[in-house]
Amino acid sequence: MREKPREHGYYDYPVVKRPVWTWEVPVYFWLGGIGGGAFITSSLAQRFGSDEDARSLADGFYVAAAALLPCTPLLIMDLGRPDRFHHMLRVFKPVSPMNLGAWTLATFTPVALARAAALAADRGLLPKVAAILTDLVPRGLTELGGSVLGITLAGYTGVLLAATNIPLWAKSKLLGGLFTASALASGSAAVSLMAALRSAGDGPLHRLSKIESAASLAELALVAGYIGQSGRTARPLTAQRRALPFWLGAVGVGAVMPLLLHRVAAKRSGVRLRRLTTLASLGAIGGSLALRWTVFEAGKESANDQAASFELSS
Amino acid sequence: MDPFRRLMNLESPPAPRGVKGFFTDTSLCIGCKACEVACKQWNQLPADGFAMTGNSYDNTGALGATTWRHVQFIEQAKENGNPNEQRWLMMSDVCKHCANAACLEACPTGSLVRTEFGTVYVQQDICNGCGFCVPACPFGVIDRAPREGSFEAGTAHKCTLCYDRLKDDMTPACAKSCPTASIQFGDVAELQRRARARLGELQARGETSARLYGMPEGKEAAEVGPLHAFFLLLDKPSAYNLPEVPRLPRKTMAERYGWSAAVGVGFALISALAFGRRSR
Repeated sequence: MREKPREHGYYDYPVVKRPVWTWEVPVYFWLGGIGGGAFITSSLAQRFGSDEDARSLADGFYVAAAALLPCTPLLIMDLGRPDRFHHMLRVFKPVSPMNLGAWTLATFTPVALARAAALAADRGLLPKVAAILTDLVPRGLTELGGSVLGITLAGYTGVLLAATNIPLWAKSKLLGGLFTASALASGSAAVSLMAALRSAGDGPLHRLSKIESAASLAELALVAGYIGQSGRTARPLTAQRRALPFWLGAVGVGAVMPLLLHRVAAKRSGVRLRRLTTLASLGAIGGSLALRWTVFEAGKESANDQAASFELSS
Repeated sequence: MDPFRRLMNLESPPAPRGVKGFFTDTSLCIGCKACEVACKQWNQLPADGFAMTGNSYDNTGALGATTWRHVQFIEQAKENGNPNEQRWLMMSDVCKHCANAACLEACPTGSLVRTEFGTVYVQQDICNGCGFCVPACPFGVIDRAPREGSFEAGTAHKCTLCYDRLKDDMTPACAKSCPTASIQFGDVAELQRRARARLGELQARGETSARLYGMPEGKEAAEVGPLHAFFLLLDKPSAYNLPEVPRLPRKTMAERYGWSAAVGVGFALISALAFGRRSR
């Protein structure tokens, strides 16, 4: 039987190459986002919060240090030649998001570690010698500089994926903003999780609850904008194998559920407030991983979508 | 050499030696795949295994880390409805060596460079296999070799325009082996002149479907610039899996970062309000 000539395309071969990256990348994006978001949240609490806020919401510096430690190993593991990781730092080339990200990670990690060490010293957890060293860390300057690096780390990952020709990643302009919102939501959630577990007072938890709600709301708005702008191109994410983890995990558990729980938590106090906060925080943190993972994996399928590639480049 | 470069042990880049490229005239291609074979031999690229795709004579499939020339076979029924009248288009695809190359801009190590011949080249001793150039290329050309392989494992590969041969004033292997002059090598400006003349000739003979792809005035040069390896096609670009307007990711990057920054600033403002600027 004679086939009709194809309207577009060379057989069903993809136009662009499928990304070679593996699971390390979304996990790194997730942890980097939490690290950046938590550092920023704690820094803002130090700068603008009450004494109680500053005291009970400082754990974000620990969270940032802990989340950032595995990031560099993950980034190295994903390379085709892990022994050459340092070649990333032989040039400074911010036009390449990958280069900008490597530099940001390489500078933010020591800053976050120094601030965490300073916090530990302030709490009397370090031996005298180390405490003298941490006195050299200028707290305010470290927080300001670290916050700039942190927002860069949280924000560049979405732009990195979008600065490709993968239709799902590149069609909408909002992926960078979406990943940033998700990073700030999960980072601030990690701070409130630590505060709730350490039985912080109601005041700081209520105030942080408002901030987390704003981040989740922004995330939902950006998801809507991202899906809307992507149109048909978003199908590998919204309608195929990744649909359930995306809608239920990233959107439902990651943003809608925390938003509802925070509304309830606004009228609660004490143990019930801390329980609600804990649940909301776990949801936001888990949802953030679901978002990175589904967008990442669906992007690989989108690379095979010949029609979407032609639509993107028309 | 200036003292700074000497101090930093920096080599001066080689002096420019003209802008070289390919003009691939698909109206002359007979699908012999001599270019594929010559490329593999000269560049010592390993075989990709025997696999039948079932898609005409194309058992290569796509360009990749170890395939730098790829001959496409496009079988088209003619519009008059006679099943015995088919049109068979052949096209030897290759890295386009874009004037504004997405892979080169994406590369975080500076491994991908513009050579003295105006070509885009991966320095194998620098590439750390980050893989960012792979999805950045709008044509799906460059790819990373598997980590467990015998051939420069784990790094990115694509056509070098036979950089080693150019150094010695030799013609790249594919162009040298092409028996019909479908692949022509030379100075891009001269090739463009030749391509325009050839297009005029074909159109005068009634081949109205002929068109050039990758010329400076073409729609496809809007973002990636003129292609240093450009084509004469006999159908619309998408029939050859070529994008109508190949995208350069840098063009929209500032706007994308803008959204990230806006979210960050918004978060800081809302946090400042929520914490209430309590004086300490």
